[in-house]
Parts: sequence; C-alpha cells; structure tokens
Amino acid sequence: MALYEGIALIQEKQAVVLDLGHDYTKFGFTGEAAPRCIIPSSFWSPDEKRYKRVYDYKDEDELYENLVHMLHLLYFRHVLVNPKERKVVVVESLLTPTLFRETLAKVLFMHYEVSGVMWADSARLCALTLGTNITLVVNIGALDAEVVAVVHGSPVIHAIQSGPLGAGAVSAELARLLDEQHGDTLRLTEHVLEDIRVRACFVPGRARALTLDQPGTVEARAVCVTGPERVLTVGGRARERAAEVLFLRDNEMASLPDLVLKCILQCPIDARRELAANVLVTGGGAALTGLKARLAAELRHLVTLPPYRSSLHSLQFSFHRAPCPDSSVSWSGGSLAGAADGGSRALLRDVYCRSRRLRDWPCLLHTTPPDHHHWAELQC
Amino acid sequence: MAYLTQPDYVKYICSCGQLKPITNLYFCRHCLKIRCGFCICHEVDSHYCANCLENMPSSEARLKKNRCSSCFACPSCFHTLSTRATLARDPAGGDGKPPKKMYYLSCFNCRWTSRDVGIPDQPVASGGWPERTNPFTTRFNQLLDYYKAIAQQEKQEKLDKERKKFVTRGKYINLTDKTGLTGAMARNIAGLPSSESSSSVISNFVPSQASPDVEELPDDYHLKEIDLKQITRISQRTSCPELQPSLASRLSPRPRALCVKRSQRCRACDHNLTKPEYNPGSVKFKIELLAYYHVPEVKIISYETIKPGGTSALLLKLSNPTAHEMTVKMLQPEDVPDQEDEHKTIEKTLEKSLNLEKDISWNASFPRRPPPPNAGSVNLPAVSLTLAQRDDAAEYDDEPPGDNDDIILWRKSNKLALRLKLTTDAQAKVGSNAYFSFALQYSYRNTVPPSATVVQHSDHTLYTTLILDLGKVCE
Ligand SMILES: [Zn+2]
Ligand SMILES: [Zn+2]
Ligand SMILES: [Zn+2]
Ligand SMILES: [Zn+2]
Repeated sequence: MALYEGIALIQEKQAVVLDLGHDYTKFGFTGEAAPRCIIPSSFWSPDEKRYKRVYDYKDEDELYENLVHMLHLLYFRHVLVNPKERKVVVVESLLTPTLFRETLAKVLFMHYEVSGVMWADSARLCALTLGTNITLVVNIGALDAEVVAVVHGSPVIHAIQSGPLGAGAVSAELARLLDEQHGDTLRLTEHVLEDIRVRACFVPGRARALTLDQPGTVEARAVCVTGPERVLTVGGRARERAAEVLFLRDNEMASLPDLVLKCILQCPIDARRELAANVLVTGGGAALTGLKARLAAELRHLVTLPPYRSSLHSLQFSFHRAPCPDSSVSWSGGSLAGAADGGSRALLRDVYCRSRRLRDWPCLLHTTPPDHHHWAELQC
Repeated sequence: MAYLTQPDYVKYICSCGQLKPITNLYFCRHCLKIRCGFCICHEVDSHYCANCLENMPSSEARLKKNRCSSCFACPSCFHTLSTRATLARDPAGGDGKPPKKMYYLSCFNCRWTSRDVGIPDQPVASGGWPERTNPFTTRFNQLLDYYKAIAQQEKQEKLDKERKKFVTRGKYINLTDKTGLTGAMARNIAGLPSSESSSSVISNFVPSQASPDVEELPDDYHLKEIDLKQITRISQRTSCPELQPSLASRLSPRPRALCVKRSQRCRACDHNLTKPEYNPGSVKFKIELLAYYHVPEVKIISYETIKPGGTSALLLKLSNPTAHEMTVKMLQPEDVPDQEDEHKTIEKTLEKSLNLEKDISWNASFPRRPPPPNAGSVNLPAVSLTLAQRDDAAEYDDEPPGDNDDIILWRKSNKLALRLKLTTDAQAKVGSNAYFSFALQYSYRNTVPPSATVVQHSDHTLYTTLILDLGKVCE
C-alpha cells in the first residue's frame, strides 16, 4: 500500500500555488518555501497597447481574457511548465467575489485544462505557516485589511472584519500629503507612490504619533526620492503621516486596531484570550516600517477604552513571526497545504466539467445535511 | 518592420472570435481553420538560457529551478552581470609568488559589483559564487513534515473507518472540509482518538511561539538621516522571493532565469501548429503553420476620407502566399455560409482514430465577442478573381502590367490591387471608429493527404472575415 502510494506521488506532477493578489501575484510550486516569482498582477495587452491589470475588468468576458493572459505569463515566462494535467492550489480571500472565483475556475479548467484545483482561503493558510491552533490573522493587502480568527482550523466566518485599510489607502493619503506639501496636484503614478511609501514612509510609535499635532513638535527629516522624471522632496510630514489613516478613529470605529478588536469581540468567549495571544500581522502592506509595533501599541491602548474595556480589558497581546517574508505568507501556507495532502482535496477537472459548480460558503446546496427535507423537495 | 511598428489596420476574425492581424494567426491544415494564440494550446518545448544560448534538458532545468548555472543577473537593475578579472596581491606579502588572478561580478549598466555586498572575489571565472540560502528552509521543512504526517494519519483513519463500514460521508461539507488538512490537525490537537499512535513527527512538532515584544523603531527614528540608496525598491525585493531584502547590502547576484521555446497545438485536432528547432540560436521552426503562409493577405493601399452618408474609394492589395493558384471572391460577412456542419464532417473523418471523447466544451467557455459595429458597407464586385501562385523568382521579372479594368487596378505575380467603393451610413457618428468588414471566399489546396493511403491533393473552399480600420469618421 505504502509503496503503491509512493509511486503515485512520484507520477503526480508537482502542483503549483497561485496567489493572485490585487497588486502582486505570487506563483510557484507546492512544497517549496518561497514562490518562484512575485510579479505585478498585470500583463502587456497588445490590443490596447498598454500594461493592463488583471483586476481591471468590466464584465466576465474581459476578466476571462485578463486571466488567460496573466496565467500564460506565469506559466510560460516564469515557472516554465505546462499547465495541462497539473493541479493548482488557489489562494483566495474569503471575500473573493463569486464572479472572480467562477471565472478563474473556468479559465483554469477549460482553457488551461489543469487536472484539479484546490481552493483555500488565505487566513487559514497563513495560520498553517505557524502550526498554532488558534490564530488571529491580520492581513493587510493592497486594498483591504482583513481580520480573520482561525480557531482549530476553521475561520470564524461571522467575526470576519474587513475595511479599505490596505496599502492603497496609505498611498492615497501620501499623494494628498505630497500635493499639500508642494501646493500643487502632482499626479504621481501608482508606481512612484508605491516606491515612496515603501522606501521613505514609516509609522511613528504611539508616543510620537500623539505629539504630531502639538505645536513645537520637531518634524521628521525630509528625503529626496529620485523618480523616473524628477527628484521629489518628500517632507517629514508626508513620511510619517501617510500611514496614520490606518489608525484614524472617527465615529465609525473603522481603524485597523478597531477591526482587530471587533473581530475578537465577535468570537466565542473562550477563544478570545488565545486569539489575542496569537496575532499574525501579514500581507504586503504589513511590511511598512514600524507598522507592527504601532499596531501592537494601539491595540494595548484601545482595550482599555469602551466599548472594548468591559469584555476585553484583560487581554494580553502577543505576536507571531511567520517563517517567510510578509508578502508571501499565504502563498507559503498554500505551498504547505498543497504538498501535505498531495492534492487529494482538489476539485477534479472531470467533476467540474460535469457540474460546473464550485463549493462556496454561503451556498445552501453545500451546507444542507443529506437527510434534510429540502433535498426531497428539490428532487420533485 | 511595418508589421511590428504600425497599428493593425487589417484584422482577421479568428475561428474563436478574436480579432487579430494576420501575422498573429495560425492556420490548422487539418481542421482548415484559422487559429490564434488565444484558442490554441501552448506547450513548453525546451529550456534554454537567453544569455549564453545554452540548452538545458527539462529534468535538469527542474533541478536547477529554471536558472542558468553560469549567468547571473544584477540584483539592482536585472541586467546580466559580467565577470571581471583583477590581479590580487597576496596580503601576507609573499614576494616569490606572482599575483593571482581573481574574479568578481560587475554590472555594466548600473555599476553594481559583487564587492559592494561583501562577496569575496573568486579564484575561478565561473561558478563558485556563494549561494544565499533561504533562512526559513529548516522551519518550512519541519512544518511540511508535520502536515504530511497529519495528512497520512487522516488517510489512515479514513481507511479504517471505511473498513469498519462505519458511516458514509454526508453530502454536506463542514467548514473544516474545504481544505481538510486543518480539520485533521484540529482533531489531533483536541485529543480526539486517532487510530495510530501519533508518529514522532507529530508529537515532536513545536508550533510557532508568539512574543509580546514587537520590534519598535528607535525614538529618534524620525530625525535619522536615511540613505534611500541603501533601501531596496520593491522590484528589487520581489526579484528575490525567498528573502525580499529591504537593504541594498543584502542583495546578491541571482542566477539568470531560463526561457522556454514553445510549441503550439490545435485544440480541436491536437496537431502541432508550430514546433521550434531545438537549437536555442535558431529562430526557425520544424513546423510552422502560420496564417501568413496559407491565407490570402489583404493590405490597404489608400482610401478617401470617410464621411457620413458619403461614398469613398478604397484601394486594397490582395496577395496569395501559397504555392497554388487561388480563386478569391469577396462577400458580405453575413453571406458566409455556416461552416459548422462541414466542419463537423471533416473533424469526424480526421478524428475517428483520435479520442472523440475529447470535450470541445472549452469552445463554449470562450468569451465570443461580437465584432465592432461597421460604419458602413463595402460595395463588392460579384466577380471571382484569380491570384497566381507565389513565385519568389517572379519578383525580379519585369512583368507587363496585367489586365486593367474598373475593379482591378494592377496585377503583378501573385498580387492584385483592387479599387472598391465604400458607402458610409448616414447615421455614422463623426469621430467614431470607421470600421468596415467584408469576407473572402478563397480556394485552398491542401497538400497534406488526409491519410497515408490517399495521396491526392484536396481542394477546399474556405472563408475568412476581415475588419478594416479606416481611422475615424470625419466631418
Ligand atoms: Zn482564436
Ligand atoms: Zn546562461
Ligand atoms: Zn545593474
Ligand atoms: Zn486542428
């Protein structure tokens, strides 16, 4: 038995892991510690004569074409293997729109004829890289920040928190601050803003952040960033305030630490202590200098305030470090998951071709027990 | 060159509905259909290094992670690094020994050198460069072994259950079932009975330890002068996915990524459309079924401005790329007979031996966009035109100009110039795209015998629809 299985494993082509992020796509083989490539999620469109983002689509047809082009680039320019007869692990957010999932399934199964696809949500995959039972995953992506509690292998669906607090929000604020500083609309490209954000911006500690608006505070040092067209002076104000949008607590309670605490608050009471003691901050946006320390400080401060004080005040926060760089944590989890079970959980091509359906969380068809009377009603 | 630099004024409609210039199209001689990069199947044919033009067998390429063993890319600007030699004096001051030749890597584009990041010079020109290992590998492998053990344990449990004819799995999934793996982990952790005594890998596994301390920035960080040249750009980080170094001092030369030659296959009949030569230095193909060699080519010579409700003259050039005489007739796109039935019979005879089960449902999943709306119609002559076969020698002959009439402007070897009239719709909006379309019916002689027993040529009548882009509708 064991021998037979060994042979089957050798014959099975090594599966690939696909993490199609909004800004960057991570792609590589299962069982490897790092993706083979991290490239912008865009491709050269010969029809439109420009680089086009995968997520830049109006309808399903356009998305289909975008995905075909992007996957071609990934398979034939970067990873250099045939997509046919090879399994794929797709890393996705729990909040991925159905249209996107279904179109990606169609492209993978029908256009590239992959033999099977395993869908996995990024929060659980992030937790896999730690090996802990209870993990609070704070994923700061390109657009959104998502907070998901993973308790004994399942995400707590009703407690998921998400808000537009990704790297994009920091870039937008940075653009505003730079315009203000130069007294002009600079119309900086996303690339330039990203470069400034990554290299020049930082998140000040909580103590300093409190003094930012006080008179007499010494401003941070300005730096000169050499862009493709000109040299731009980035003032201290822009450098240290760009990321403050993540911590702005207006009445909505929609700041990043609020998202984290709200998620804990909506989780079962006996998991809260453990969740706070097992926080993992990941995602491309988490790599911003000083962000993690500031988030930790804000969390510790915020639990002492209402409405959290009454139920969360005794929480002690501890933080994990994933065994990979921040931006590829969920990819690495996908690599582990795909390699560990040898793809036996994947949705196979012939099964997909018969039903053309994907399992999804909110779908009643998949969550109705077999003896439920609804099935009988469906049959007639 | 015009093909590469100019916009595509003439586009053909591929059998899948995509609009492409003729240079981007393939022609399957077995299905007798136009195919394009979107609707054919691409396959990796061979791996090679684009810098040293060295071939690498696929198995070796897999082992070396698709990277060349002798070429390096600059970690700063991604240009190829060059090896430079210097004479090193022995620091010990040995006088008898001649100075030794030492090598380092240097970028001619951005002046980065391997010395910048403290990599010692090497005594040999190629190879021997220290490889920066992934610091996370050990931990990653621990995790991998742990999850493999759990997956194995779960499989065993499932088998045991089945043997006992315990329960059949329900039709519903629970939350942990979506990937499953962590479900087994949860059961293991919750102390639920596992049939096997848990293996040592599982019991020895130590989960990640959280720490209350997070690395804080120094209090005076905002006053520190930072040298942006020492902080890497995002492209420099992502070019090294294992480390994603944020400091320029952590950059290291990266073995150059290999390229692949691709072969292309028709999805409907599984025949090769292109197959490149193995030699990386060669740009030739063993099989090259390009539409450019099989389908009549249409070029625009000139046209009058397009005005709403007006008529304009259009001069087109038709050429026959094949080695056989071709009869061409122009049709309105809507007059093209439905070829599906004919296509099916061809396919059947061709594919009897092949796997007929092969599902053609991918065809249905393709987005089939309607072609853009026309700004008017082309007044087409009802005559059939004959185009001589391509004759490379004829290019040099001084041929008397052929028959002239009010449709044919001139005729030369396998080429023909036509004078046509365009009628623009009165409703056409000024400033909108002036697209005109027409179809070509052409005779095609297939020199590939359908089977080994028949050695005959077969003649076919084929159709293709074209779209001309004549700029904008003018006032
Ligand atoms: Zn096509
Ligand atoms: Zn090379
Ligand atoms: Zn360089
Ligand atoms: Zn074919």
